[in-house]
Amino acid sequence: MTNAVELENVSLVFGGEGNNPVLAVDTINIAIPAGQFVAIVGPSGCGKTTVLNMLAGLIPPTSGSVKRNGKEVEGPSRDVGYMLARSALSPWRTALRNIEMGLQIHGVDKETRRKRAHELISLLHLDGFADSYPSQLSQGMRQRVAIARTLAIEPNLWLMDEPFGALDAQTRLTVQAEFINLWERSGESSVIFVTHDLEEAVLLADRVIVMTARPGQIKSDTIIDLPRPRIIDELRFDEKFKEAEHRIWKELRDEII
Amino acid sequence: MKSSDTPSSDQQNDQSTYSQESDSASERFDMSSIVEVPRWQRILKAIDLPVQLMRIGLLVLILWAWESRTIFKGWSPFGFELFPEIIPLFQGVPSEAWDFLVDIWDDSLFWGDFWVTLQEALLGFVIGSGSGFLVGLLLGSFRKVAKVFSPFLIFTNAVPKIALAPILILWYGVDIASKVALATIIVFFIVQIPVQAAVSGVDPDLDVVATSMGATQFQKFRFVVIPGILGPLFGALRLSSIYSILAVVLGEFIVSKRGLGQRLLYETNNFGMGKAIGLITILAGLALVFNAIIGMMERRFLRWQDSEARGKVISL
Repeated sequence: MTNAVELENVSLVFGGEGNNPVLAVDTINIAIPAGQFVAIVGPSGCGKTTVLNMLAGLIPPTSGSVKRNGKEVEGPSRDVGYMLARSALSPWRTALRNIEMGLQIHGVDKETRRKRAHELISLLHLDGFADSYPSQLSQGMRQRVAIARTLAIEPNLWLMDEPFGALDAQTRLTVQAEFINLWERSGESSVIFVTHDLEEAVLLADRVIVMTARPGQIKSDTIIDLPRPRIIDELRFDEKFKEAEHRIWKELRDEII
Repeated sequence: MKSSDTPSSDQQNDQSTYSQESDSASERFDMSSIVEVPRWQRILKAIDLPVQLMRIGLLVLILWAWESRTIFKGWSPFGFELFPEIIPLFQGVPSEAWDFLVDIWDDSLFWGDFWVTLQEALLGFVIGSGSGFLVGLLLGSFRKVAKVFSPFLIFTNAVPKIALAPILILWYGVDIASKVALATIIVFFIVQIPVQAAVSGVDPDLDVVATSMGATQFQKFRFVVIPGILGPLFGALRLSSIYSILAVVLGEFIVSKRGLGQRLLYETNNFGMGKAIGLITILAGLALVFNAIIGMMERRFLRWQDSEARGKVISL
């Protein structure tokens, strides 16, 4: 069976053509089977976001091959949902119309996309806020709208770039729980979840990859053997969880300090 | 809480504790102490009577000083002629302007001139702001193209555009085309420059999101860039609507057969001061109508900014 994602000897250099080229990603190899939830952690500027950008088809690698479902990535695809750290909602669109945006770009008719958007509104507990503009929503709600917009196109690869970084601790727990719930119900979708919060990575993911400080290389790759479905607000106090987090922390610590 | 055998008694117990707490009114804010303001009071407050009265008073004062020709007497503080004395031949008062406005109501010749000026201003506004918008959008979006054209645009913009008017009249003739050309050139830059600047001010994250969704260049214009620049665009359009009238009046001053500017010059040269003031009032009225129409469109398209300005944030 082909992997959902395959990175082979991928390197990326920024600012070629003479002016201080920077090696952002250095010869990384990652293979992700379909349906796996992978978290990538690492210090700031280690090239985590760059990896996502390459997978989303926004930038090509300088060398190596980036494949989705066995095929070389050539550009953005409908099968990929990309969510940024900042909610990046269109301020002139209501929550509902923000959620519809991807579907609209793909030419889905108005009735279908409205129906789909309404489904996501209730799945993410945004009922009553469909017609609110982003400026009228709280941070947590904006981030939920952004999740809904990412998932509206029903991608089978979810690329999440520190999606909950801007949220306060309590809101983050709620949104994380909703998110993991959506994913556990989605079936075969693969997730690559970039974060610098190790607790979040271990709580949510099947597998945690630690990247080194720049140039980004893979330092460790650990399977998180915790049962699903996960009740994340309880799991935080579980001994097995703490042990897993501690094990990976030792790897990460060297890169941060 | 006391332990109890049945859930129902537990609930009762719970309720009684709660009601006991809320009985002591001093601990809770009494919402009934806030009296709702009656509707008529709110309307009165919105009208703001003192401000209205001051405005009317000021208007009456200005009209009186003008009509009584007080303002023409001249004022030279410390021997410096700040306001020169105006000879009677050059004086025009509001009542004369009013008589003129009443007279022209059924004067088809006047309405012919009005139509000429309106046409020139509208065409200049539409062509100038339309092309300014497109060029600004293009140059803002494609940096390489902007690099090629920017020195030419900067130089052209530096030309005092009115200096082109005599040439434009030679090229486009004495009829409306030359005035439309002048208004177009003036309006073009008023729109192009802020639009180009606004394009690079659009949130780059929105572009990344649209790109990752596979948006085409056209879709990015439609969903990201154009909605993102509407604020500055409408600001520029408001200015353009006024400048398009200014441009055509100037053009008509130089050479023309018809138009309100031509009429204004004629009346002034023949000392028809009341008529001149009447014509100026009409031109100002036209500019206000233009501005109001654009303001209405602006409110329609930028409704989302209303809620932002009001800071109406729902927290959850």
